Amino acid sequence: MFQALASIALDSPLNQWIAATYWLWPVLEISHFIGLSLLLGGLLIIDLRLTGHFKSFSLEATHQLIPLVLIGFAINLLTGILFFYGDPASYSVNIGFQIKMVLVLLAGLNAMFYYWKLHPLIPIWEVNGETSLLARAVAYASLTLWFSVLLCGRLIAFLGTGYL
Amino acid sequence: MFVWLEGTPVALWVSLSLWAYPLLLSVHIVGLAVVVGIFSIRDMRLLGLFRGLNPAAFLSLSKLAWVGFIINAISGLLLFTSQAVTFVGNVPFLLKISCIIAGMILAGIIQTRLRGELSSAGSNTVISRPTKMIAAVSLSLWTAAIITGRLIAYL
Repeated sequence: MFQALASIALDSPLNQWIAATYWLWPVLEISHFIGLSLLLGGLLIIDLRLTGHFKSFSLEATHQLIPLVLIGFAINLLTGILFFYGDPASYSVNIGFQIKMVLVLLAGLNAMFYYWKLHPLIPIWEVNGETSLLARAVAYASLTLWFSVLLCGRLIAFLGTGYL
Repeated sequence: MFVWLEGTPVALWVSLSLWAYPLLLSVHIVGLAVVVGIFSIRDMRLLGLFRGLNPAAFLSLSKLAWVGFIINAISGLLLFTSQAVTFVGNVPFLLKISCIIAGMILAGIIQTRLRGELSSAGSNTVISRPTKMIAAVSLSLWTAAIITGRLIAYL
């Protein structure tokens, strides 16, 4: 699947522009790092509160950070697509990148499950500040998945056949 | 001194081991997310965003940011040893370190001011103008630390 995407990206005008624009890569990397700080920072607070830590935050209030998390994700999705377009041959065969994409997908499914099935229960949990066992499991899964995404992302440059 | 540092067994392990450098970089990015994530959200809260978040909770949350900082001070120091001579002459690296030191000093100042303002304000919390200014500077410093940190590899 990644090879199919790579063949679309390879030699496209966007691919050639990214490869030829020497200042773009560091700018994308900086944006990607800022995006991950917003994404991970927001999730850290939301998920740690769901697991029962930092109870002086109200559960509902931590969810005000969701737009920040989504902005961070949007920045990283966009810059990530541009990375892939800039060097599709390296990314598509890189095991670190492949695992990272699977983990992002799992983290997304985990978040959707939380939002549809558990988030509506917040008014009930807010009564005594305690969440459910399932909510704690989902929050720990979220943190584990996203920090694994971080590790895989950092290792891309050192893994597979990539030369990045 | 930096030449000597590069020759120490620890530095040689970092630079020669196949796994040490990538492993330390991975640890370093986890710490980055924790430190910059928490401090930037704290700063945004002090500047008036996410008003539902109780500012008092950041007093305990900053301990977690400190854990992240210690993780990154250690992993950063180890990464530094492997190319100490190159790093001390690298302008983005020196700027990055300056931003981090300033950011951590401001974190201490914000912590003290916030504790004072919260204990005197009671239930109606108003963040003072100077504290907001410090938060704005802090947010800029952490952003600058990321920018200069990334540029180490390029300049």
